[in-house]
Amino acid sequence: MGRNPLHTKLCDMLGIDFPIIAFTHCKDVVAAVVNAGGFAVLGEAMHTADEIGADIRWIRSRVGDKPFGIDLVLPASAPDADTLETLLSKIPDEHKRFAAYIKEKYNVPEPKGSQALHQWGGLNQDIARKQLEVILDERAPVFVSGLGSPAFMLKAAHERGMKVFGLIGKARQAKREIEAGVDVIIAQGYDAAGHTGPIGTFSIVPEVVAIAGDTPVVAAGGVTTGRHLAASLCLGAAGVWTGTLWLASRESDNDMIIKEKLVAATADDTVYSKSVSGFAMRVLKCPWTEEWATSEAPRVLNSPYQMLLSSDYIQAANDHRRADLMFEAAGQGVSFIDSMKPAKQIVNDMVEEALSVFEEITGESADV
Amino acid sequence: MSDFASRLPSVPGFDAERAGKRAECDGGGAIAGTRYAAREEFTGTLTGEYVDHGDPPWRWYLLGRLERRPDGYPGDAVWCLAENLFVEGEP
Repeated sequence: MGRNPLHTKLCDMLGIDFPIIAFTHCKDVVAAVVNAGGFAVLGEAMHTADEIGADIRWIRSRVGDKPFGIDLVLPASAPDADTLETLLSKIPDEHKRFAAYIKEKYNVPEPKGSQALHQWGGLNQDIARKQLEVILDERAPVFVSGLGSPAFMLKAAHERGMKVFGLIGKARQAKREIEAGVDVIIAQGYDAAGHTGPIGTFSIVPEVVAIAGDTPVVAAGGVTTGRHLAASLCLGAAGVWTGTLWLASRESDNDMIIKEKLVAATADDTVYSKSVSGFAMRVLKCPWTEEWATSEAPRVLNSPYQMLLSSDYIQAANDHRRADLMFEAAGQGVSFIDSMKPAKQIVNDMVEEALSVFEEITGESADV
Repeated sequence: MSDFASRLPSVPGFDAERAGKRAECDGGGAIAGTRYAAREEFTGTLTGEYVDHGDPPWRWYLLGRLERRPDGYPGDAVWCLAENLFVEGEP
């Protein structure tokens, strides 16, 4: 085989050893993956501008000059928002009664403090703009837009020496962002955790590769093993975007109960449910998702009403660490998470497995 | 001007060329209080109204007369990020 099949144009662009991108909400995971030769992106959608600035400086202190990324959820559409009180008053009594029924049936306690959702107050777009400004000021090496097109801020980012990635769920959005000049496109398929597009990873990745030209495409959605990495490169991707994979890593700050659930779970233990937020999202099954799937349940409300309804359950489950109630967003690749390994070992295992797959296919060893 | 359009320092405008054109929006946004985002799709008719927020300008168009919206979406209009909008008859 000769040439190292894992050395892609993404590696050249970022100066990394392996084309593996970790998406995580834990900065310890970012530092560990970056120092292991991969690339990592910290999800900061729920953090204030000050917190983001501090996190960027913290990561720099741990990884030196190595690159890393910061992800925000730039909005792509925006209804006029009501106040929290108005929103709460619009939830129908039938739905409140059903939530109370679940609470009683499963003995769900009261949350310990006031709900994070109620304190955040972030039902508008000002927050995203302030978050973005600090990322530009701090010159984070890479900015990733997890939803809305980052086209409007490309020039400002490039002038600061930053790279910009766009995560998409449809080929037409990829085309639009490539034409605008994003540096990398992340094509996310239906297998992913959380809220995804309707198209499967095996379909969306080659569809985007076909129109991407020289822009590197990164495969996302269900990617968990070296075999997935090898398959993604065969589809034409220049790397992989992995999320669920790191949730049970040694460095992850996830609750140990959630880590144990992830290790025990298979793809069949995930459900694509609207019951949490009002939007369909893939999560581990729990009493809340199961009850809303029964014929007795009222029709799920749209966002943000369903989220307001579920927030009591979620916060109580987490505050009291009730293993029977807790859940987490998880992709279908969760089947392959079978232990709580250090991030460096996860990277190494993925690389070794991918190389052995290529060796199986070609009958030759790679020069690594 | 709507609540959304008035929140950020913004310059409103009117695009006569686009007013009345049918368009699709690959939209979505953060879900309040969570670390999750959600995708949502709309089809409707552009009113022609837009706002440019801040610097660099972040342009949003108002899509009205919604024919397609997420289940239970309140209201008959949505602000759409310009680059996530696909206007009929435009490349």
